[in-house]
Amino acid sequence: MASSQPNKDYARKLLKLMLGKDQEFRPGQWEAIETVAVKKQRVLVVQRTGWGKSLVYFLATKLLREHGAGPTLLISPLLSLMRNQIEMAERIGIRAITINSANQEEWKAAEEALGINTCDILLISPERLNNEHFLNQVMPKFSGRIGLFVVDEAHCISDWGHDFRPDYRRIIRILQILPKSVPVIGTTATANNRVIADVQAQLGPGLTILRGSLARESLRLQNILLPRQSERLAWLAENLPKFNGSGIIYCLTVADTERVAVWLSKKGFKAAAYHAGNGNQIDREALEQAFLRNEIQILVATVALGMGFDKPDIAFVVHFQCPGSVVAYYQQVGRAGRATDRSYGILLGGEEDEEIHNYFIESAFPDVDVFQAILQQLEKSDGLSIYKILENVNTSKSKAEKALKLLEVDGAVGKTMDKKSLYFRTPNPWTPDINRMNQVTDLRRLELAQIQEYLNHQDCLMMFLMKALDDPYPTVCNRCSNCRGKGLPKEVSPELVIEAENFLKEETIIIAHRSFLPSGLFPGQKRRLPAELQIEQGRSLCYCNDPGWGKLVKQGKYTDGYFSNELLQAAVHMIVDTWRPDPFPAWVTAIPSLRHPTLVADFSKKLALKLGLPFYPVLKRVNNAPEQKTMQNSSMQARNVIGTLAIEGKLPDGPVLLIDDIIDSGWTLTMAGYLLLKEGSDQVYPFTLAKATGNS
Amino acid sequence: MTISHDSQVILLLCSHLGLPADPEFPPFTLRDWNPLAVKLQSASMRPSDLLEINSIGLQSQLNLTEEEANRIANLLQRSGSLAIDLERLASLGINVTTRVDSDYPERYKQRLKGSAPSVLFYAGEKALLGQPGIAVIGSRNLDEVGQACAEFVGNACGISGLVLYSGGAKGVDTLSMKAALSARGTAVGVLADSLEKAIRDPENRSAISRGDLCLATPYSPSAPFTVGTAMGRNKLIYTLADYAIVVASDAGKGGTWAGASEALKAKWLPVFALEHSLMAPGNTLLIQKGAIPFPHPFMGDRLKLYEWMENQSLSQSKTETAFQPGLF
Repeated sequence: MASSQPNKDYARKLLKLMLGKDQEFRPGQWEAIETVAVKKQRVLVVQRTGWGKSLVYFLATKLLREHGAGPTLLISPLLSLMRNQIEMAERIGIRAITINSANQEEWKAAEEALGINTCDILLISPERLNNEHFLNQVMPKFSGRIGLFVVDEAHCISDWGHDFRPDYRRIIRILQILPKSVPVIGTTATANNRVIADVQAQLGPGLTILRGSLARESLRLQNILLPRQSERLAWLAENLPKFNGSGIIYCLTVADTERVAVWLSKKGFKAAAYHAGNGNQIDREALEQAFLRNEIQILVATVALGMGFDKPDIAFVVHFQCPGSVVAYYQQVGRAGRATDRSYGILLGGEEDEEIHNYFIESAFPDVDVFQAILQQLEKSDGLSIYKILENVNTSKSKAEKALKLLEVDGAVGKTMDKKSLYFRTPNPWTPDINRMNQVTDLRRLELAQIQEYLNHQDCLMMFLMKALDDPYPTVCNRCSNCRGKGLPKEVSPELVIEAENFLKEETIIIAHRSFLPSGLFPGQKRRLPAELQIEQGRSLCYCNDPGWGKLVKQGKYTDGYFSNELLQAAVHMIVDTWRPDPFPAWVTAIPSLRHPTLVADFSKKLALKLGLPFYPVLKRVNNAPEQKTMQNSSMQARNVIGTLAIEGKLPDGPVLLIDDIIDSGWTLTMAGYLLLKEGSDQVYPFTLAKATGNS
Repeated sequence: MTISHDSQVILLLCSHLGLPADPEFPPFTLRDWNPLAVKLQSASMRPSDLLEINSIGLQSQLNLTEEEANRIANLLQRSGSLAIDLERLASLGINVTTRVDSDYPERYKQRLKGSAPSVLFYAGEKALLGQPGIAVIGSRNLDEVGQACAEFVGNACGISGLVLYSGGAKGVDTLSMKAALSARGTAVGVLADSLEKAIRDPENRSAISRGDLCLATPYSPSAPFTVGTAMGRNKLIYTLADYAIVVASDAGKGGTWAGASEALKAKWLPVFALEHSLMAPGNTLLIQKGAIPFPHPFMGDRLKLYEWMENQSLSQSKTETAFQPGLF
């Protein structure tokens, strides 16, 4: 244990050990280390990604640990890719350990290390701060001796941050209780003046702020407006080879990442989709590693590709769709060119962007009546599972989870600390903070307007970004396409556009079958559907928000009152030429609707005729049910279908093609199929014209 | 939630929050803490001053052994995890007060002095702790007379604006508490365990939200039931109330007997014992040892129960001793 005060010379030696002999402190790094490790105060570090924020807290940890302090607690929402930083820390004998929900198999070793004081940094997500295992098993292992708090993504402390994370309110309250003698580092790559002032107000006047320039020296920015997806796909195929290296393509939705990745693979690129959504789990860690080793040339990613991801030689970051804010754009494009002389940041704007962003903004907060309905359920009990809540609250599971998360952070709802995870009402009073929610929503709209402005900006693009982020030293970059007056071409070859258009039309969109019934549908009955009552895998012709078929489906349903021949041709083509279900259906039926009695039925009759199959309308509505799309969760949806559909007459022999216009949750088709199969039908193949979308 | 540095130090030294079940440096019991509090006072120091001194300074300034000083230094190092724990408790509706806080129940300090718990966790209206009221003490298993008595006292307290004090356990406690609350009265339960669980009960929760109920405990809010905590808790019920009624007690054994005997001996307050033809043998013995008989059925005006108890106990001398100011 060193006895003297930590000093800069010694810290410099450690730095060289970590990064190499010829490395020195960057401006601000030692000041930050000194504030926490020597003065034991609080510091907010606002520096661009790649500046070396992790070096600051690794060295500070080392110095504090040598003077007998307990381990550092690092709280970050994005733990997935700190692996290379962790290796760097090991060079100065700092052992960092991550505990998160995904690495349960490592918990035991982590706890042992904490027990014998060989863990120097414990990395956790904010959710852990309210987790039973963490509080009752992990913290006591080192008697809660936290030597240093590190709060990553510290802009989330402010409601004015671009990234709203309810868990950070918990962090604020913890830091407010924490004695001033425990040092704290907050780090962020992007915080404008307003956010910094807000963080200062929350964490107290003793906070030192260290802020650097946001300019990125190697990045060449360019914006290209190409409304149609086919044009952008063509542009990618034509221009990506020019970049001479690996890169990231950002999309707004999971479906888009998969679509772009398939297209690029078809065109001979080594590309893969990277996202955190939609059940079809992908091994993100394996993809990251393959990308780091350049076995994958292009990652087509949603925002799930987090900030911790650090690949120094990324040659380009292309946005297939426009992100929601300048901050998000700056952070994502900043992945490029960290250790290269030249890199590209290309923003392609598309016609679908606005609709997607509006959906994101509008679905950010559950409605106030959802909060109230949930509380009403909880007030009657001493604890309910999410499924029990959903049986009586008409909202989607994800919205209910969002609402519960906010209620939990507000102290209105608690969660039991055992495996059952029951939610319960606390005695704390609660009123909906509508102003706060509106404030966040308004902020998102302003941010959206600002990135639109950037997209059309005619002067230096880097300077626009720097000014928008309140950079203290904005300068002209002399590298962007506006500064140089030239860049990559906007024009794309018409042949490629046609090819891309055909590709979009041929896309396979699968309707997955469900094998579990929602809870509470048939009380006392097993939730697992027996195999013989499950429908087959089916197909959708397109996604609702697709500019091509999707537009035609919406027009047919909401404007014309019938579906066009173009859609009919496309459906026949898909069923006969690409899908080819085996054994092939022997007859056709449709989901009936009292609201639009002829819409789907007429289309299905025509389709049956084209397929040379008979059409039998065996499904009937028995009650005028509320529209299925007003049912917000599985329990409600399934109940709504089962209570209002019935089978009339005798079922024909052979497999059946079951048709509906738009599939959302899939419960209508699952339950209609269940009824058919229960009546003794052969295979049921679901087919819909469009699939609703809207998730990242 | 705000918490003073003095309070924080007491929580770090005297509570189990954030510690393993079998810690290397165990937290201070009252027996350990009181002498240290006296030392601090005679050195004109506050508990928060301990945060500023290292182990060597502690040894010289407070005349402590190296072992004691290390224990203090180690316990104080967990302020990070304490902050996390306190935040979580607050978000569940559980707050904390310590002997240094001005809102700590005055009656504990007056009647228990050095035995007053250093830390008290509570949910609900804290101002109820120590307001005029009657404690109901008894067993979990009740005969019909006992049930009727529990409900009678609860109701009488409810309609006459008195706090109904109990241990918040099953049986007599719950019956009397419900009777008080359903008469739109107020109640206090001093729990021996599981405060976190108790406030999940919908009836408790709704009474707490209305401000009609306060549940408190000197033990960790997630602590399970043990006989030891139940025994230690009994005096914390007696010492908040003006009068106590023992509904049923075993003779010479059990928690009710031990608690009532202790209260009679310490003369914190007049203790009554329910008297009827089928009463438990312990009740007879308690009356012999000085408990005042409480008749069943009560024939007087239930709105005047408090005055009746006052008159019955005039013969007994209450021993309200002056409180030593400044005890941490």
